[in-house]
Amino acid sequence: MRLLSSALVSLLALTKLSFASSSSGDSVLVVLDPSLDRENYSIFFNGLEKRGYNLTFRAPKDASPAITDYGVPNYDHVILFAPDTKSYAQDITPQSLVGLLSENTNLLIALSPKQTPLTSLAAEFSLILPPPETPLISHHPARSEPQTTIPVPVSPSSSILTPEIPPIWFTGAPHALGSTPMLVPILRAPAESFAADPTSDADSDAIVAASEKGGEGLWAGSRMGLVTGFQTNVNSRVVFAGGVKMFSDEYARKELPSGGPPGNALFVRDVAAWVFQEKMKFRIDGVEHHRVGESGAPEMYTTNDEIVYTAYISAYDSRTSAWKPYSGLDDLQLEFTMLDPHIRTSLPPVPGSPGTYQVQFRAPDRHGVFKFVLNWKRKGYSYLESSTTVPVVPPRHDQYPRFLSAAWPYYTGAISTSVGFFLFAALWLAGDVKGERKKGSKAE
Amino acid sequence: MIWQFSWLLLAATVQAASLSLQSPRFTISASDATQLRSDTLSLTKKPEPLTLGATDTLKLTFQITESDEGKGVQPHQTFLRFYDKESGEEGIQPIRVTPGGKAKFELNMMRPLTSIPPTTHNPLEVSLILGSFVHAPAQYDLFDLYIPASHTPAEHPDEASFHVLPAIKHTFRPEQKSPPQFISAVFAAAVLSPWLVLIGLWSKIDVRVPNLFSLSIMPFTALLGAFEVLLVWYWVDLKLGQVLLYGGILAIPTVFAGKQALYATGEWRAGRK
Repeated sequence: MRLLSSALVSLLALTKLSFASSSSGDSVLVVLDPSLDRENYSIFFNGLEKRGYNLTFRAPKDASPAITDYGVPNYDHVILFAPDTKSYAQDITPQSLVGLLSENTNLLIALSPKQTPLTSLAAEFSLILPPPETPLISHHPARSEPQTTIPVPVSPSSSILTPEIPPIWFTGAPHALGSTPMLVPILRAPAESFAADPTSDADSDAIVAASEKGGEGLWAGSRMGLVTGFQTNVNSRVVFAGGVKMFSDEYARKELPSGGPPGNALFVRDVAAWVFQEKMKFRIDGVEHHRVGESGAPEMYTTNDEIVYTAYISAYDSRTSAWKPYSGLDDLQLEFTMLDPHIRTSLPPVPGSPGTYQVQFRAPDRHGVFKFVLNWKRKGYSYLESSTTVPVVPPRHDQYPRFLSAAWPYYTGAISTSVGFFLFAALWLAGDVKGERKKGSKAE
Repeated sequence: MIWQFSWLLLAATVQAASLSLQSPRFTISASDATQLRSDTLSLTKKPEPLTLGATDTLKLTFQITESDEGKGVQPHQTFLRFYDKESGEEGIQPIRVTPGGKAKFELNMMRPLTSIPPTTHNPLEVSLILGSFVHAPAQYDLFDLYIPASHTPAEHPDEASFHVLPAIKHTFRPEQKSPPQFISAVFAAAVLSPWLVLIGLWSKIDVRVPNLFSLSIMPFTALLGAFEVLLVWYWVDLKLGQVLLYGGILAIPTVFAGKQALYATGEWRAGRK
């Protein structure tokens, strides 16, 4: 009996470990600075392991395990908790990290007020960091913690986060966001906060002088971001967090000034779920196109044909680690393009058929090489892109309208000529030869 | 508004010293220095919304003291916050405060500060944020401000593709219109009019075709009829390759039938004679 129950328990443990909730793999490399204590981040790391990830730890200066081997990434995801490190081992450079993103590896990067190679990496993603050694400080709300430890309310508008997360504790540097739509703001700074040297009241003149100097001015207010994500063209995701302490157990347990537990544990869990491709992940399973009434794709279409286009889309469900057909996209659009879109229609879901989106339209008057272009991009969701090339030819000589009423005189003329010729030939051959060839008898 | 006072109460219980705002005044003057509006600000009720024209100037003066009627202090953070609730745009402007706590702020719309956010026709909520390392913080909602709308900030070129794009409908060539069928019928009848003439003339003369059904020429006329049928069939249905094939097949017996028919005709012409 004890053997059976222990076997059952180990079997259950094994099944739990084999369950992976990310859609793009479960091996994670954690580059942890030696000055950070791994035990202080146990809530975050154990939470990841419970969700099925295999974590491998190393220090920034260790040569192994390497991030890539000859350009091929060794891990599916990388966490960089080395915000103050100024020099890394050879395999971690801003260029190699960008290369990882091109190879569909996701990154979770913690920044800090110090100037490190990661500062220039963040600038590549349109994040504008404040001058070095100016962390985020806020005098509001009145609290016993230092001014650099700030409770930040979590806005309910981000679809990455579960609703109603309590305020979280934050220490680190803010950043200003560029205008590129590929940035996904996750957490914004409170309105009363600003980036400054945290020493004493006497520096208020310095703050005013900094803002009057021009250039970027003062990093202040709720337009600044603290945790921002970026989704690349190949659908890999990177999150820049302004500080590493918000992931720690100490902040997850510290009580808020208004009472109650903070939302740090929930927040970092949601951020990790988004970065590691667990949620808001779609893909196109296939596209089909054919003429109305037919079933297979023809080699070419004719102008003014009625065409039916179908797309099959599924979403990743991290609870069951499976892709399920998804009919919830109500703003998909299809473009029929030759250099410029000639037709752009909405692609609605088919009721009763999950994951199927279909539209029928008429091919344009122009002939040429067209593309069915499906291009759906929304902040935070993976991009859906599909392009199918198809020729559209003008009608053949016998596909034009025929037997027109305007041509009746010509039809009757031609038929009448044919009939006349036939009658003449028949009557001439059949005719009576009386009254001919009298000459022959006369000439003898 | 209410929750700010709860913070002040909390601060009051936590620390004895707290910041407070004394004698806040605002003045709106036009470009020729005439005063359009001037008033003190009440900390409990917002005044009527202020409106600044494109050439007006707003002047704001106040003093920061340590708990009401205390001595003037220079806090670490004295920010004026301009916030548009509809669009979420925000601007933060630090205000220079003298060591005695006196502060003066001026906004000249002819040379607006860079910290003013992009505006539409909605008002900006203006509030004062005070923070200090040694005193409890404070925040005051001052007034609502209408300023002229600004240009919208330039959008990133990719921004449009992240939203629903306008639908494009293709304008097709209009269907070809055909003339009335009655006209076509009339002219088709006109085309057939020579047949009437022919039949009329034939009725006047004596046409005799004794050899019409003779076996010598029947094959040829039948094959000729088949050629006509093939021509009509080509018009209706067939493709060129098919019609050439069938025509080629028909041509072989037609050659022999034709020779036979001509020989027979020749015989008759010679034989009868």
